[in-house]
Amino acid sequence: MEFLATLTTLLLFFSLYLILKHYYLKLYTNCYLIDYVCFKPASDRRITTQTSGQIIERNKTLGLSEYKFLLKVIVNSGIGEDTYGPRNIIEGREDSPTFDDAMIEMDEFLNVSIGDLFAKTKISPRDVDVLVVNISMFSPAPSLASRILKRYKMREDCKIYNLSGMGCSASLVSVDLVRNIFKSGKKTLAVVVTSESITPNWYSGNDKSMMLGNCLFRSGGCVMLLTNNPAMRSRAKMILKCLVRTHIGANDDAHNCAMQKEDDVGRVGFHLSKGLPKAAVRAFAENLKHLAPKILPYRELALYMYGTVKQLVIKPKLESNSAMARINFKSGVDHFCLHTGGSAVIEAVGRALGLSKYDVEPARMTLHRWGNTSASSLWYVLGYMEAKRRLRKGDRVLMISFGAGFKCNSCMWEVNEDLQDGDVWEDCIKNYPPQTLVNPYLEKYGWVNEDTEETFNREERMESLKW
Amino acid sequence: MPRQPSPDFSTSVKLKYVKLGYQYLVNHFLTLLLIPMIATTALELFRRGPEEISTLYDSIEFDVLHITFSVFVIIFVLIVYFMSRPRPVYLVDYACFKPSPSCRVPFATFMEHTSMICEDPKSVQFQTRILERSGLGEETCLPPANHYIPPNPTMEAARAEAQLVIFSAIDDLIKKTGLQPKHIDILVVNCSLFSPTPSLSAMIVNKYKLRSNIKSFNLSGMGCSAGLLSIDLARDLLQVHPGSNALVISTEIITPNFYKGNRRDMLLPNCLFRMGAAAVLLSNRRRDASRAKYRLLHLVRTHKGADDRAYRCVYQEEDSDGHCGISLSKDLMAIAGDALKSNITTIGPLVLPMSEQLLFFFTLVGRKLIKPNLRPYIPDFKQAFEHFCIHAGGRAVIDELQKSLQLSAEHVEASRMTLHRFGNTSSSSLWYELNYIESKGRMRRGNRVWQIGFGSGFKCNSAVWKCLRTVKTPVDGPWEECADRYPVDIPEIVKL
Repeated sequence: MEFLATLTTLLLFFSLYLILKHYYLKLYTNCYLIDYVCFKPASDRRITTQTSGQIIERNKTLGLSEYKFLLKVIVNSGIGEDTYGPRNIIEGREDSPTFDDAMIEMDEFLNVSIGDLFAKTKISPRDVDVLVVNISMFSPAPSLASRILKRYKMREDCKIYNLSGMGCSASLVSVDLVRNIFKSGKKTLAVVVTSESITPNWYSGNDKSMMLGNCLFRSGGCVMLLTNNPAMRSRAKMILKCLVRTHIGANDDAHNCAMQKEDDVGRVGFHLSKGLPKAAVRAFAENLKHLAPKILPYRELALYMYGTVKQLVIKPKLESNSAMARINFKSGVDHFCLHTGGSAVIEAVGRALGLSKYDVEPARMTLHRWGNTSASSLWYVLGYMEAKRRLRKGDRVLMISFGAGFKCNSCMWEVNEDLQDGDVWEDCIKNYPPQTLVNPYLEKYGWVNEDTEETFNREERMESLKW
Repeated sequence: MPRQPSPDFSTSVKLKYVKLGYQYLVNHFLTLLLIPMIATTALELFRRGPEEISTLYDSIEFDVLHITFSVFVIIFVLIVYFMSRPRPVYLVDYACFKPSPSCRVPFATFMEHTSMICEDPKSVQFQTRILERSGLGEETCLPPANHYIPPNPTMEAARAEAQLVIFSAIDDLIKKTGLQPKHIDILVVNCSLFSPTPSLSAMIVNKYKLRSNIKSFNLSGMGCSAGLLSIDLARDLLQVHPGSNALVISTEIITPNFYKGNRRDMLLPNCLFRMGAAAVLLSNRRRDASRAKYRLLHLVRTHKGADDRAYRCVYQEEDSDGHCGISLSKDLMAIAGDALKSNITTIGPLVLPMSEQLLFFFTLVGRKLIKPNLRPYIPDFKQAFEHFCIHAGGRAVIDELQKSLQLSAEHVEASRMTLHRFGNTSSSSLWYELNYIESKGRMRRGNRVWQIGFGSGFKCNSAVWKCLRTVKTPVDGPWEECADRYPVDIPEIVKL
């Protein structure tokens, strides 16, 4: 009966081969972060308190209440003296940005950082299989992804995606896109480019809800190299453990709280409404609902369930917010990368998660050194931790970001090896944390709180702004 | 280009039969191989005689254990094989935006508005000439903001246009498929020239109250071929998430992109781009297989951006007066042809029958080794597809493709008629063309459709769909009222 025996063995080997192929496919579902490079703009793009003062002075539509508001924002923002802005604003042309200005701002980032990443990781552009670019507020045709493909002469069949309009949480959306492509099983190398365009989005009016954007956003960007190839695992800095995206745009208030639109006079600006903190809290709670089971150890989850049941049964009138604070997120997470939306955002998230000063320090220092660089801010925070040598093998890093829509995206990474690369923080990390974060504006412009409409003399006060 | 002298009629007929015979032989090679096999087996059986056969049969020992084991192994192998196949992607249905007649821009309106808005009479003359030769008809539509003199391109108006076109298309799709918004798992939106924050995908999440764990992506700046890019992204996502469906929205928002200057290469889009949108529902659920219209067979993407000329051929920039517009270079046709060749090189082996591939291979070998002057063999794509949807970018694009792929007038009819009735609706044009083919009752079960899109970058993307059920007329959609009036004869030049 040799024929049947041979057939059986052949089929057996074939099925073993199929099982191995299946198993191999499962191996390729990991997302490894090989390296990342943050962007440090040229030093002539620095925006200091003095520069901010000059920019404010140029806007002739502002009155006393607007000055009060602006100075309050700048003083409380937590942003320091070394942040960077786009050239046209520094050169005084913020009111009339041209298409070329916006392109120059992008080119300065794209031409430098991506080349640096390729040099650092010794990868050729022709090896890249997937390129995802997310720049929310500038989207020319051909896309910036095409521009990068042309500049670095990438392959014809490289899959490129250009995401736009997705707000400050878009870098995690890009990582999600890449992660999904990785799961298909083929060995893939992906580059994610994240940044924000400020040049064409300067608001030149006097609607207070739209002036916030002007004060907080700064230039920055980050480029990351990701892969699912297990052979490159030894070179990886971090491994992605989970990623949760939450979109509460179904709620009208949440959708409209951060919106690009025209003011009463027709000037386009980015409107941030008073309902924004509430939307952020709701989105955050929704996100944590899905994230907590994935990152917390079982003991912590069990304690939380016990606590909730106890609360529901014994004291049903308590608010649900206090339940959130009872979960000790630090049991499952060692480091926290919080989106540097503003000092209020960082404080609020820190309180909600029960974080200490040490935990929120990277985010606060990033806000101070770089400002709110929108989607790329998480990577600057990560850079701070790395430069401070906080990241050790096996540590778990949680990234949380918020964005217009309203979205809350979060992900957890596991550190693969002791990280020691300071990257853009190397030259200044010794000065952090500084002695004081108090803004020098406070003493110089105290008159803002003393003046009234009658005593306010614009010319006199503007003179005092010239140091 | 001078036409080749047509060969002798009788020789051409003989050639045709030779070619047919060759195709039949090669394409059914394996089946034909069976005939001699059956013949030899039958002969052998007759030779041996029935007694020998019965003794042979008795000599086989059937061990029960052996048989059960083999049966289990066979079943196991079959299960593993079926589980490891890639998930099919079904196109359940799609809907296109049907513009209201109040948005119509007949030639007279367009010319009158242009002469009132444009200060330079030469520009007006240029745009008149373009419109005469464009292949557009009198019923194409522009959004309400463009009907103002001068146009009123505020962000609010752009959002209003987006809401109008996208929500209409999605409402139609919901009616057609009974789709529940809460059941949408993946949302991909592509709109090249308008990208507000929050994105158009967030706008859709807000309007239809989609779930909070939706996987949404908003692509922008990717040109007229972005529709197929979005399908590619949706396909990749559907491979990873079993039992899901994906809503893909392709549109182009015209309101903010009216060019106010005088540069000729930038005035072209004003004349050609029109309002349109398409909503497509994809699924990988097995239960949708019975009601789906199409199945995605292949999708190939090609990007020629590494070449500077190709990159700059559709380019958004500011002119010397500071007016922003999209310039279309004179090289567009040549670059499109080039990009198409690259795309065909990849898709050819996937779709062409063996006969065409062999011919192509042998001519290639012949050209390289034996005779370099041999004319390159252009594979006959009519063998592989029944229907063609070529992006209605403009008359010249359709002409160029008809020539290079050697297609008949009927094959490009869908593209030409879509250009005539709806203008260049950018990434959604492929879906209007598909709807045309369905409305004419030409779509039968088993038919294969080839959609080709071109776009800035320079990209050429193509998708191959297989029809799963014959589409009965009349078909709900933008062609419902006017399919009977088509096809029309479109003159070379319409005198204005």
